[in-house]
Amino acid sequence: MLAVWLSVGCFAGVANLLGTAAIGAPRAFPQSGLQGQAALLEQVSGSAPEIKLPLLPKSVRFAVIGDSGTGERAQYEVAKEMEIYRGKVGFDFVIMLGDNIYGRHQPKDFLQKFELPYKPLLDAGVKFYASLGNHDDPNDERLYKPFNMGGERYYSFQKGDVGFFVLDSNYMDPAQLDWLEKTLHDSKAKWKICYFHHPLYSDGKYHGPDLDLRAQVLPIFKRNGVNVVFSGHEHVYERLKPEEGIHYFILGNSGKLMTHDFRSRENMEVGLDSDRGFMIVEIAGDYLYFQAISRVGQTIDSGKVARQEN
Amino acid sequence: MYPQKRSSHPNPVLLRLAVCCLHILTLMAAFAHGQSGATNSPDDDKIVADFGSRVKSYVESRKKAGGTAKPTKESAELAKHKKETKAKVRSERADAKQGDIFAPEIAAYFRRQLAAALTGPKGGEIRASLRHAEPVAPVPLKVNESYPAGLALQSTPPSLLLNLPRLPKGLEYRIVGHDLVLHDSVTNLIVDLIPDALPNT
Repeated sequence: MLAVWLSVGCFAGVANLLGTAAIGAPRAFPQSGLQGQAALLEQVSGSAPEIKLPLLPKSVRFAVIGDSGTGERAQYEVAKEMEIYRGKVGFDFVIMLGDNIYGRHQPKDFLQKFELPYKPLLDAGVKFYASLGNHDDPNDERLYKPFNMGGERYYSFQKGDVGFFVLDSNYMDPAQLDWLEKTLHDSKAKWKICYFHHPLYSDGKYHGPDLDLRAQVLPIFKRNGVNVVFSGHEHVYERLKPEEGIHYFILGNSGKLMTHDFRSRENMEVGLDSDRGFMIVEIAGDYLYFQAISRVGQTIDSGKVARQEN
Repeated sequence: MYPQKRSSHPNPVLLRLAVCCLHILTLMAAFAHGQSGATNSPDDDKIVADFGSRVKSYVESRKKAGGTAKPTKESAELAKHKKETKAKVRSERADAKQGDIFAPEIAAYFRRQLAAALTGPKGGEIRASLRHAEPVAPVPLKVNESYPAGLALQSTPPSLLLNLPRLPKGLEYRIVGHDLVLHDSVTNLIVDLIPDALPNT
């Protein structure tokens, strides 16, 4: 059985404001688009990074970003915070949930919207593994080596005991569905993590869940023991209630932001729609530890998930 | 359909097995005929084969023009390769016009398939996905021209794709407004399109 344990932040007031439960069980985000929250976040910025991951030996550590490629100041601020946290956590790769490059895809766009903001990470040897969003160029990006897609729209890779299955949710054609079924089935990975752009579940009001995508891929996920799903597209952070043993995270606010975007709290554990952010993840043995961090370095959400034999 | 209960007592294990087999056969038939459950007639098969040969011919001409670039860390190289390949394909197809690939019979077949998908059991989910996926507003599109740079590509609902003939790598069906576009992602060219292909449902 999957269990979620939510940690308690040092900044209990901020955590409450952000929707993180003060003690024990997670709580839904009480209010969206808070002005006071932004002010409070500004107050705590500049403090030393607060690490909620256990940093166990031989664990798999990575960061998560989504909807990042704007080339605007906020993207650079998130990237700077990622570098600060990398110094403490030592993650060596980043998964990208799509919309990696907004707008045109000229060389200057790759420079301003990817290479420059993440230069310290790239220089440190951190690898990025991209998935495609609806604003991405499926040809140029799959062939762009720093995105590590191996020339494919969808692909898989493994780090330690963790298998990553990277999908192109813009174009889930029968060939990709066949590939997904076979690749998941054949994988011997202890953890199976799928990531792609369009969320299967979401409380966002701008896009909401992609019902047709869900109808096609969810049975495959269930049949083949997927543990965790990451998506972007909705420009918020949301951790959803687990559905049939699968944990869902939306992180579509690493560059873009859609304030006041939650239509309900129906499926939500914790959400943030008033600032940008990223996530760091550590997997060790049967546990996945996560920490979502805002643009100013504040912990939005953290906890751990126990692996379930699905 | 479930087996009738008889006065004699049938073996319940065998009964369950028979029901399971029926379910599996029904599922297989539905999959073979697409989500709508529509069956391809022999005429439809000919139409699909004709479409396939037109697509194949296009892909071969694109391969001659330069094909797909090799992965590189230099985005400028990718841009250069795409520009050159696109120019060659456009020149090779200078006389290309709407309907060259989606010939009238083929376009009619696609309209039927799309209508079947949208009015079939998955129709509600397909329409919801189209609405939620950041719909692309109608833009003027022309065969053998680029898809507008910087404009998002709307995701194509998977259940819709299950009802359409499979395409070779690099070619995609895309929905733009109510039009169905055959898009070459390698060159970003519009290979052909069917205006108002999606019914108003």
